[in-house]
Order: sequence, then structure tokens, then C-alpha cells
Amino acid sequence: MSLLEVKDLSVRFDTLDGRVNAVNGVSFNLDAGETLGIVGESGSGKTQSVFALMGLLARNGHASGSIKYDGAEILNLSEAELNKIRAEKISMIFQDPMTSLNPYMRVSKQLTEVLIHHKGLSRKDALAESIHMLDAVRIPQAAKRVHLYPHEFSGGMRQRIVIAMSLLCRPKLLIADEPTTALDVTVQAQIMALLSDLQKEFGTAIILITHDLGVIAGSSDNMLVMYGGRVMEYGNIEDIFAHPAHPYTMGLLHAIPRIDHQGTELVTIPGNPPNMLRLPKGCPFEPRCCYAVKDCKSIMPELTAQQNNRSRACHSSVESLL
Amino acid sequence: MYIDNKKVQDLADRLSSSAEIQGRSLWQDARHRFLKNKAAMISLITLTIIVIFSITGSAISPWNFEEIDWDAMSDVPTLGVPSIQSGHYFGTDALGRDLYSRVIQGTQISLMVGLIGSFIAVIVGTLYGATAGYLGGRIDGVMMRTVDILMAIPFMFVLILLMVMFGRSIYMIFIGIGLLSWLDMSRIIRGQTLSLKNKEFIEAAVATGVKPLTIITRHIVPNVLGIVVVYATLLIPGMIMTESFISFLGLGVQEPQTSWGALINEGAKTIQHGTLWQLLFPLSFFIVTLLSFFFIGDGLRDALDPKDR
Amino acid sequence: MLNFIIRRLLIAIPTILIIILLSFLLMHSAPGGPFSAERSLPAEVLANIEHKYGMDKPVIEQMARYLWGILTEFDFGPSFKYKNQSVNDLIASGFPVTLTYGIWSFIFASLIGVTLGVIAALKHNTWLDYLATGGAIIGSVLPNFVMAPLLVLLFSVYLNWLPGGGWEGGKIQFVILPVIALATSYLAGIARITRSSMLEVLNSNFIRTAKAKGLPNHYIILHHALKPAMLPVLTSLGLSFVGMITGSVIIDQYFSTGGIGQHFVNAALNRDYSVIMGVTILVGSLTILFNLLVEVLYAWIDPRIRY
Repeated sequence: MSLLEVKDLSVRFDTLDGRVNAVNGVSFNLDAGETLGIVGESGSGKTQSVFALMGLLARNGHASGSIKYDGAEILNLSEAELNKIRAEKISMIFQDPMTSLNPYMRVSKQLTEVLIHHKGLSRKDALAESIHMLDAVRIPQAAKRVHLYPHEFSGGMRQRIVIAMSLLCRPKLLIADEPTTALDVTVQAQIMALLSDLQKEFGTAIILITHDLGVIAGSSDNMLVMYGGRVMEYGNIEDIFAHPAHPYTMGLLHAIPRIDHQGTELVTIPGNPPNMLRLPKGCPFEPRCCYAVKDCKSIMPELTAQQNNRSRACHSSVESLL
Repeated sequence: MYIDNKKVQDLADRLSSSAEIQGRSLWQDARHRFLKNKAAMISLITLTIIVIFSITGSAISPWNFEEIDWDAMSDVPTLGVPSIQSGHYFGTDALGRDLYSRVIQGTQISLMVGLIGSFIAVIVGTLYGATAGYLGGRIDGVMMRTVDILMAIPFMFVLILLMVMFGRSIYMIFIGIGLLSWLDMSRIIRGQTLSLKNKEFIEAAVATGVKPLTIITRHIVPNVLGIVVVYATLLIPGMIMTESFISFLGLGVQEPQTSWGALINEGAKTIQHGTLWQLLFPLSFFIVTLLSFFFIGDGLRDALDPKDR
Repeated sequence: MLNFIIRRLLIAIPTILIIILLSFLLMHSAPGGPFSAERSLPAEVLANIEHKYGMDKPVIEQMARYLWGILTEFDFGPSFKYKNQSVNDLIASGFPVTLTYGIWSFIFASLIGVTLGVIAALKHNTWLDYLATGGAIIGSVLPNFVMAPLLVLLFSVYLNWLPGGGWEGGKIQFVILPVIALATSYLAGIARITRSSMLEVLNSNFIRTAKAKGLPNHYIILHHALKPAMLPVLTSLGLSFVGMITGSVIIDQYFSTGGIGQHFVNAALNRDYSVIMGVTILVGSLTILFNLLVEVLYAWIDPRIRY
């Protein structure tokens, strides 16, 4: 049994301008200790999928489908039940470390409150454990600096604090939503290395959300490519990088600047992401796809299983894309 | 009267950061959103009706605002009641003068005080704030320190004092209110200017040798216009309240001229005699107008600031 | 922190001095004022002033004497109107009254305003929110001079429950109407600002983080949201305080409560300049001190403000 089984997850929002179907029929599995990378442009529904998982959707959002953690359904639980899962079993790191910590509260309290609340530790024990965790994410002089406020740390250090905070209860699953996007490139590499070290140390499964294929390449086992709220392709990361089987994945891979292909022009995918208020009836990528066939406009291709545990959603055959 | 300065400030920040990207469409978007805002549109219509009424309403009244109806005066509680036959549509005041005409007169004065007062405040505040922000350094320090000190002076007390010292007149009210209420405006504009100052188009203007005054009037002021419009709309009801406050004390406009504050004051003095209309007519005009300005200002702010939607 | 307070005080004190000097100069230049040549004062009063300031001395010396009197003995000098009264006597009789209903109004407006605002934000887009927001909008166009006659009309004229004026040493039934009349528009303003600021905080990223940490809702509101949501409210409390002192002019006039507002208006009508100056300086100083308090609270809540 997988640690996490997501089946046919959909998320919609009722807004003043109409209904937005942000996520449509997303399915994937994740085993303990594994890493799944979710890739897509902004607005492709990757963040909303995991928000649904954590029960963090905005008030006007509604999720349907099924999410099983350790075999138990966790989608649309009550707040009280969710609060037993959050931080204890699944925790989350957000994109912007500058705003995801409470600026009016000392770091010590933001860390210890998790342990006091979930593990029932005393203030003193919780503080000791928090300092221990700050050491683990390599914050120098943690015992002293734990009492500072967030604004007294740099961006990279703050993201380390957020990571430490998310690991306090040793959750089995960590969701990292663009954990390095807001950081400098050199700091990005440090944070990714830290995450993979911690993964080995604590045996945590990770869902890594990013729009940066480079970040995923070095750290994930499987990857999920999303576009317009739908899964385009899913499978082992090395397989996909070697043999992409969806026009969108191919476009993404071509768009990575590569140092070993000097002189070639950087390829971009022409056109713009779809308007989520008026998704086409067929494949959302059709308007930008150079392999589009007749059916693409009217019929959404099903996500179909391929060999090697891969799956893809495209009307064109794999052969025709080569 | 409260103006939620923080919200205005947020809007200001957002406007200044988005001005470059969105350009002209910002105003078109804003107009579209404003037209969709029901409360603001109803208020705008209401306000238009009140303005038209204050200009043309006296045409259908047989009485003017200072004429005394001696018959009605002899027994105001019974003969001075609102009626179509007597021609006193809103009844008479305690002296037998036609309240309908007096309310029109008061509406004119109060609206005028609101408009002219906030006009002065906007002009002075914008120029002062833009100058301080643009010049920066020690001059900015001195100018803003001065604003801090002026802010600590109890504004209403000074206004009362001015009225007493220089004699009551409507012009004194205009000048007094206008000159004393530009302080908030100047702070907001200064903050805006500071953030605009380092933008490329200002640097380009400096580099091509444009004079500071021209930069302020041609480049800075147009870019803070959105925030100025919102603030000015929110300032008008504050002005009207201030004038009414002064007039309520009997220190504002001079008889036989009147304003909403003076009428409310007169109506309030006589409530125990059962002449309730003397309070309620001017009071309704006062409240409806203020609410209208309030919703229009809020609507403008939301229109220029899509985030709140 | 102490350092910060001291530094703020060092700015506040000269500001108060400047206010004293400004109001003196304003008085001095007033046409027909007490310090001008063609004054028409009762002989005894004139003698008092002559004695106190020496009207034949140069302006600078008169000003210095005035300032010295305030600073050393808190003495605002004799009244220009009543021969046997000093400004201090008038302040001593009026200030406790103003303070009584002023403090109650302030407590009333801030407690109820903040509570309403927080409830409206927590129940965002429910009927409770609409009720509170609607009430707050209407309340904010009901300034003290509108509320006062309406309250008297309802509670004194029609229901005959409460007296429509007077003070009687501050008996409770005489305090209620002035307090409500003074507080309403500020209560409404505080509620609106609290609501919008609370909503903004509740939508912020760090509250989302707190939720993702599995903390219960009431804990998040109490420990994470309340403090930052109070920052803009603090500023508005400063404004309310000033507004309420100013409003005492109306309250005293309408309810005949006999606070400093009444003395101020009487003085203004009688051109009793020393009383005007005294009250202005007193109110200005109070404003400055209160703003100082707000700034200190602000710095205490927001650790990012350096002091």
C-alpha cells in the first residue's frame, strides 16, 4: 500500500466571474520515503492540489475525489480531524519564507507551539527539541538565535527555519511548494541539498512542487506534469527526461537552457497559458500544441497507462511525436 | 470622520507599483469596476439628485430662505408644519422662515464647504508632500517635522479661534478648514513620491535636465492622481462634518445664511416643542449625503484596487 | 525600549513648547486682543494682567513670563474676563468632567469597536458580518452633534428615562447619554478598521502557515492574528482620542455638562484669550502624550520597528 493515494482529485472555485476548475481529475501514488515532483506553469493547479490535501483551500474552494493517507480517507475532513494530520503526519513548506513566518512572534514560540500542541511537550522540552531541529537544518548558534524574530534572519535562513518547523513532529510526508523560488540561486542549491539530506535522515516522503525542471531533475523519483489543471504525463523521472511522451513535456524540456548545447537557440512554447475561467472542452494544451489532431479541440484525452508505470494524456501516438 | 489611512496607503503602494505595467488600462478597468458597484452607483445618482435639488429646488418654492411668515411664526408647532397648501413643504423654522428654502440654502453652503475645503487641502497637501518627498534629505526632514507638530495642534480649537478672532464668515470657514486639513494628504503624497522618485522615468527626466518643479508637476503629480482622487472623495464628508460641527456651536455661517450644522442645531434646540421636522429634514439630507460620499469613496478605492474584490 | 521612550519624549517636549509659543503669538496678534494697544478690559483684570506679564515690556519678555509660569508652576495666568478667576480654576473645574465622560467614551468605543470588528472579520460574509458592517457604516455618519439631539429626543423627550442635560457631579444617569453621543462615530470607525485589518491578517501567508501547523483556530486567532491586526487600530485609537477631546466642545454645549469644552466656547465668545490659550495648550499636550503612548505600544507590538 502506498503512503499516499490520490484518485481523481478535482478542485473548483466559485468566484464572482464564474466557476474556476483549477484541478481536474488528478491521480497519483506516493510511497514512503519517495519523492514526487509536480511540474507546471503558474496557474496549472499544482499548488491547489496540495492545498486540497492539507485542507487549506480558500473558503470558496471545493475539492472532490479521494485522497488516502495510509489507507484512510483524508479529503474534506473536519478542521479538528485535519489538525491531527497537519504537522504530525503531513507538513508543508511554503514558497515565500519572507512572509510565511509570523513577523510578530519569536522563532522559538513558532517552533515550540507545534510540539506543545501536538506532542504535549513542556515548554522546556519543546525548546530543547526545537533547538535540536534548528541544528539539524544547520542554523549556526541555534540555541542563541532561536529567540530572535524572523526579520533578523536572511531569506535562506528563514527557509531553513520553516523546514525545521515542518519536521518537528517527524511527519511521514513533507510537501514543499516551490521551496526555493524566492531564494538566490546559490541558496537554492543549499536548500535542496539540505532537503535531500533530511529526507535520508528522517525517511520522509516529499512532494516537491516547482516550475523549475532543473530542481526536480536532481531530487525526484517520479514526476507529474500538469497543465490547465490536468495531468499531462506521469512516470519515472529518468524515463520522462530521456523519452518525453507528451508534446507539453517535450516543450518544457526543450525550454531548459543547456550548457552542453552551445549555440542553439533557446526554444520557447508559443502562446499563453489557458484562461482557467473558460477552459476548452478538449485538451487545454491544444491551442499551443504543434502535434494537435482533429479530436484535440473537442475531446479531452484520457490519462492512459503506458509501460514502465508511466501514463500520458494525448491523442497523438508516442511514435508520431518523434 | 474616519478615513482608513492604511487602506488608502495600501492602494497607493499598489497603484505606484502597477502604474508602469498597466498604463492606461488601469483607469479603464477602474471605471468598469466602479460602474459594477451597486452601492457606489446608487450613491452617485442620489448625490446628483441632491446637487440638482440644491441648485433648482428653490424655483418651486413660494418663499425664500430669509423671508419670515408672520402667520406661521405666531404658532409654529401647528401652523408651521410641513404642508403643500401653505407652501412650506418642509414646514418652517422656529422664526417662521420656510425650512424648504433654508434646507436648500444650507445644502448649497455645506456642499460648497466640502468641495472647496477638500480642493484646498488637496492642492496644498499634494504640492507640499510631493515637494518634501522629491527634494528629500534635510528639507524633507524639516517639512515633515513641521507637519508632525501641526498635527498635534488641536485643529478644531484653532478653527473656533480663527472664527472668533477674524469674524465669522463663510470664506473664513473655507480657508480655515482647507488650510488645516492638508496634513494627512501631504503625508500620503510624500510616501508616494519617495517610491516614485527612483523610478526610471523620473531619472530620465532628471538626466535630461528637467527642472525640479516641472518634474513634480508633470511627472510626480499625475502619477499620484488616483490616490488623490480617492482621498479627496473621502475628505469631502469630513469637511462637511467639520463645518457642521462649527455651525452647530453657532460659530459658523452667519444668519440669515445657514448650513446643515446650523439647521440641525436649531432643530435640536426645539425638539421638546414637538417641531420634529425642524431636526429631521436637515438631518436626513446630512446623513444621506454623507453616506453617498462614503460609498462613492469606497467604490472608487475598490475600483482602483482590485485586490479587495 | 526605555531609550526609545526617552528619545520620543525629547521630541515631544519641544513640540509642546512650540505649541505654547505659537498660541501666544497668535493671541498677541489678535485684533482687539488683550495684548494689543486698544484693549477694553475691566480695570481689575487689566491690573491683574499688568501685574502678571508687564504689558509695557517687550513681547519677548511677556512671552518668557508666560512660558515660565506654565513650566514652573503650571500657571496659565488670570482670566481676561472674570476678575476673580484664573485659567487654572476653570481648568480645574472643567477638566475632571471632560475626563470622566471622555475616558468612558474611549473605553466604550474601543472595547465594543474592536470586539465588533473582530467578530465581523471572523464571520466574514455572514449575516453577523453584514449587520456589524452596516451598523458601522451608519454609525460613522452620526457624529456627536447628530447623536446628541437624537439621543435626547429618544431617551429624554419620548421615553423620559434619562435626563437631557446637566452633570450633578457625574451621577451615572447624567453620564450615559454624553458617553454614547461622543463614542458612536468613533466606535463605528474603530470597528471598520479592526474588521478590515483583521481580514487582511487572516488572509496573510503566516496565518496559512499556522493553519498548516495544525493549530486550532481559536489559538491562531488569539496568538497569531490579534496582535498584528491591532496595529492599524492603535493609530485610529490615537485619532479617536483627539476627536473625543474635540467633541467635548459639542457635548458640553449640548448637555450643559460644564467640561473644558464649555469653558473653551465661552472663552472664545467672550474673547477670554488666556483661557483659550490654556485649553489649547492643555489639549495639544494631551494629544502629543497620547500619540507618544500609541507609538510606544506600536513599537512594543511590532518587533521590526527599531528603537
